[in-house]
Amino acid sequence: MTSVVAARPRERRGLAALNPLAKIAGPAPAMIALVFVRDLSTPLVFLGLAYAALLLGARLTRRGLGILFGVIPVAIVVVAAGFALWVDPARVGGTTELLRVGGVSLTAGAVEVGLATGLRLASIMALAFLGGLTTEGTDLVRSLVQQLRVPYRIGYAALAAIRFVPRFGHELAVIRQAHRVRGARGGVWAAPGYVVPLLAGAIRHAERVALAMDARAFGAHPDRTERHLVPWRRRDTAFVAVFWAVSVAVFVVVRPF
Amino acid sequence: MTTRPHPAAAPAAADAHALLSLRDVAITHLDALVATPSAVSFDVGPGEVVLVLGPSGSGKSTLALAMNGLIPHSVPATVEGAVRVAGQDAATTTTAQLATTVGMVFQDPDSQLVTGTLLDEVAFGPENLRLPVDVVLARAEAAMRRMGLWERRHDSPDVLSGGGRQRLAIACALAVGSPVLVLDEPTANLDPRGVDDVYAALRDVVAEGDRSLILVEHNLDAAIGLVERVIVLDGDGCLVADGPVDQVLRARATDLHALGVWLPTATLAALRLRDAGYPFGRLPLTPAELREALEDMPARGVASAPRPRGHDRGDVLVRVEGLRLSRGRTPILHGVDLEVAAGEFVAVVGANGAGKTTLVQAIAGVLRPPRGAVRIDGLDVRRTGTRTLSRHVGFVFQNPEHQFIATTVFDEIAHGLRAQRLGDAEVRRRTDELLARFGLADKADIHPFLLSGGQKRRLSVGTALVGGARLLVLDEPTFGQDRARADELLTLLDDLRENGTTIVVVTHDMQVVAEHADRLVVVDGGRLAADGPVAEVFSDDALIARAGLRTPPLREAFAGLRRHPELTSVARLRDLPGGAR
Amino acid sequence: MATASVLSTRVLLVCAAIGVGTGILGGAAGWLTLAVLAGAPWAYGLVLGSHVLPGIIAQQVIRRPWVALVTHVLAALVASAMAPQWTFRFLGTAILIGGIQEGVAALTRYRSWAPARFFISAVIVGVVIAVPVWFAGDIASLAPISRVAAVTISILGPLAWTAVGLGIGSGLRGAGVARGLSTPR
Ligand SMILES: Nc1ncnc2c1ncn2[C@@H]1O[C@H](COP(=O)(O)OP(=O)(O)OP(=O)(O)O)[C@@H](O)[C@H]1O
Ligand SMILES: Nc1ncnc2c1ncn2[C@@H]1O[C@H](COP(=O)(O)OP(=O)(O)OP(=O)(O)O)[C@@H](O)[C@H]1O
Ligand SMILES: [Mg+2]
Ligand SMILES: [Mg+2]
Repeated sequence: MTSVVAARPRERRGLAALNPLAKIAGPAPAMIALVFVRDLSTPLVFLGLAYAALLLGARLTRRGLGILFGVIPVAIVVVAAGFALWVDPARVGGTTELLRVGGVSLTAGAVEVGLATGLRLASIMALAFLGGLTTEGTDLVRSLVQQLRVPYRIGYAALAAIRFVPRFGHELAVIRQAHRVRGARGGVWAAPGYVVPLLAGAIRHAERVALAMDARAFGAHPDRTERHLVPWRRRDTAFVAVFWAVSVAVFVVVRPF
Repeated sequence: MTTRPHPAAAPAAADAHALLSLRDVAITHLDALVATPSAVSFDVGPGEVVLVLGPSGSGKSTLALAMNGLIPHSVPATVEGAVRVAGQDAATTTTAQLATTVGMVFQDPDSQLVTGTLLDEVAFGPENLRLPVDVVLARAEAAMRRMGLWERRHDSPDVLSGGGRQRLAIACALAVGSPVLVLDEPTANLDPRGVDDVYAALRDVVAEGDRSLILVEHNLDAAIGLVERVIVLDGDGCLVADGPVDQVLRARATDLHALGVWLPTATLAALRLRDAGYPFGRLPLTPAELREALEDMPARGVASAPRPRGHDRGDVLVRVEGLRLSRGRTPILHGVDLEVAAGEFVAVVGANGAGKTTLVQAIAGVLRPPRGAVRIDGLDVRRTGTRTLSRHVGFVFQNPEHQFIATTVFDEIAHGLRAQRLGDAEVRRRTDELLARFGLADKADIHPFLLSGGQKRRLSVGTALVGGARLLVLDEPTFGQDRARADELLTLLDDLRENGTTIVVVTHDMQVVAEHADRLVVVDGGRLAADGPVAEVFSDDALIARAGLRTPPLREAFAGLRRHPELTSVARLRDLPGGAR
Repeated sequence: MATASVLSTRVLLVCAAIGVGTGILGGAAGWLTLAVLAGAPWAYGLVLGSHVLPGIIAQQVIRRPWVALVTHVLAALVASAMAPQWTFRFLGTAILIGGIQEGVAALTRYRSWAPARFFISAVIVGVVIAVPVWFAGDIASLAPISRVAAVTISILGPLAWTAVGLGIGSGLRGAGVARGLSTPR
């Protein structure tokens, strides 16, 4: 009986099997460096790498696929277009004019700057999705406790917080209804009126949960038995090492700076 | 009653074998002026089942929290006197250590959940104690099997019913291994089925005989079969009685009643009947005992029970015709027809998820019904704006705090009047009048959230009525409230009704229905399963069982009495012969 | 354990509740980022400024050490669940802003809770935020007027959001929430 229970409900593969921290640590240097990059090729290469890793190494949900093939491409186009309009015309003065509406002109240089910004953001997001789409919030919290030595009391506050989220949504819906029935203003202007009742209700609930936790000996010892282990394995080290090596290689080959 | 411990008397020495021992305990909450409880001493030994009674505000919950050190370690309060748990002083021992002796189950099942699956939840306590994994699992399994939850161990607690979640809370306390369980109104938030569920589980625990239970409970009808010993606090929080059920509840029922302590319905009924000349030897505690005692009594032959007051049915105020409604894509109501006459008090009952809330929300315009399906005062609810609608119907949500939109009690009421563009003087006059009527005049300037639970509820009823609505709709107004607050609210509703307000209430409390409503509407699977006078509907046993209802205790005792035909049709305490008790 | 005595379970979970509320806002702000960068990149500071909220509300409700930092980290975790692409950014800003707010409170030895103290931390946050906004938004490539606007808004954003947070925190105090938490035992 015991062994049946101790087994994890489902076996994980690929990116999902990695430690959540590895999925943050691996891409982190590349993400930071990308903030300072201004060319087109570097973000494109990392975008390609991230997509390849996600498509080959993860079972994506519908939401994940929607993000990869809907949100990110749209974001690139929208940010590029929007940004191109705000670029200082003096900086891109020498380039060819693509479009002219009234006194405003859109130059190839401006589009290039816009596209670079769009791609840069997209590549940073895609790298973050390596962990973001393949990790459960609870596992991230556990690895923060088990590897980074965040006090487990804070870890459990985080687990409780994750449970509060759907409750917030439900409470908000009820409060909106209740205010509407009273003939209160609706729409965006009513939102500030919801904040205090919503937070007050959440805090009262939190205080009751705290009592229930204390009553079950929470915080009795400096540590506690952990049945759900999120270990750091050799493959996590390998993943981080490989990712760092590839990142360095890309920067060396493309030379964006 | 004067069993208040004499200040000069030396406190009795603590019982060395007691699991829990309290000596002259007085607890003052932060910012409170007086101590509640103020003088309590008792011991609890292994295997005892103790019921703690007392009027609202006497400090029962406070006492419960002190029994495992949550007061003063987690809730700011000062504790005088001594609380000893298995020999340890609760003032200096951490809650975590005390928890291994005293486990807790609270009122609200939702606020006791920490993790995402049943098994993790039950394992949480033993894990905190740093037990090895196999011991943790063994304990969790044992506790869950006792509560009948083992098969569902990988489920999320969210999919359990209220009763199921409360059994989970009991399993969690059992898994910690504490020999004493303290339960503070564990069934106050549950529907009748959930209450049965939890008490069946508790009976199993008691049957095993390895745990002591300390039960704070207003719902005595459910608890009475379980307990052996009763402790009573008075309004000031002094211990006034401590002894076996027979010696306390039966022998001193009159005193307890005078204190404002809730008694089982059957006992209350017997007290009234005794005043009317029915010779009770031993007071009954359950409907079955009441019935038995009456059948053993000589017949009286006088049909002295007054007929229930008939209320004149006015013209039709609410007309629901062929109402169908979906939430998302799921159809919930499948063609409901209903008429409510002005001045009626209608109770809407039914199992969880039957569609009661959906129905009354559609009536009050909280949800938008289809065109022409709901009319109030001839107005089509669908086509009327919320401002206008609020002059015809007031809706009161379960949690009054959700409805508050202002920062003072005065503005809360005035909001509805200002919306009608009345002059300042008029607004002030009418607001003051309403506050006075609801007993809130001296609270006008404070924040609505700072009111007591009962006051909040009265204020929310006031805000619903201030627009001039003749129809008041309340969704489970007594849910999660203690008996005294529930009673206060119901008295208010009765008064409003006397003054001509029409009232529709959704509730799970069958005695409330029997005591206050004239008409009962039973919702089952999105259709009306019954609609008629309360007594008539309750006489259909098959319907009661099918719709997940419960026969009110008085009906259970009186229906078909052979010796006392004068009582067979009585369903309300106030209709019993024997004075205004 | 040193933190155990400072941070009771009650304090931690109240932080969690505030963290969830502000974290949901942070997640929404995360998705809004794209729209703002496309439509008005110089106004990005206003969005980023909303990240001061968790610490401000927490410190205003619970006047104790560590609550700002803890609430920030919890808010970041909730926001990351909603907008996973910014996990790194959320955790980074949480530690940065939370650290600044704790630091300013620690300098007054957790004794002064006057509004001025909150606004001082807001200005520091604003200056610190202006730097990442400059690079991430590629502000250098914008027209001069937009550049000035970007820097100004980066500093004004946190100030404005601090005022909002103080309002919410005072509202909660007025509603009698978490009483007894701000009087250290
Ligand atoms: N957290 C608190 N802070 C301040 N006062 C409190 C607090 N909790 C309870 N009190 C006050 O202490 C007194 C006793 O309250 P307690 O909840 O223990 O009563 P009770 O007997 O359980 O009542 P009920 O039957 O209504 O549940 C009441 O006057 C109440 O207002
Ligand atoms: N907001 C919602 N969205 C979708 N479905 C809902 C919603 N609210 C309720 N339901 C579903 O509608 C059905 C009827 O719900 P309703 O709340 O009317 O029942 P009820 O009789 O009031 O039950 P209870 O006694 O639990 O309050 C239930 O199956 C419920 O799951
Ligand atoms: Mg109580
Ligand atoms: Mg309902």
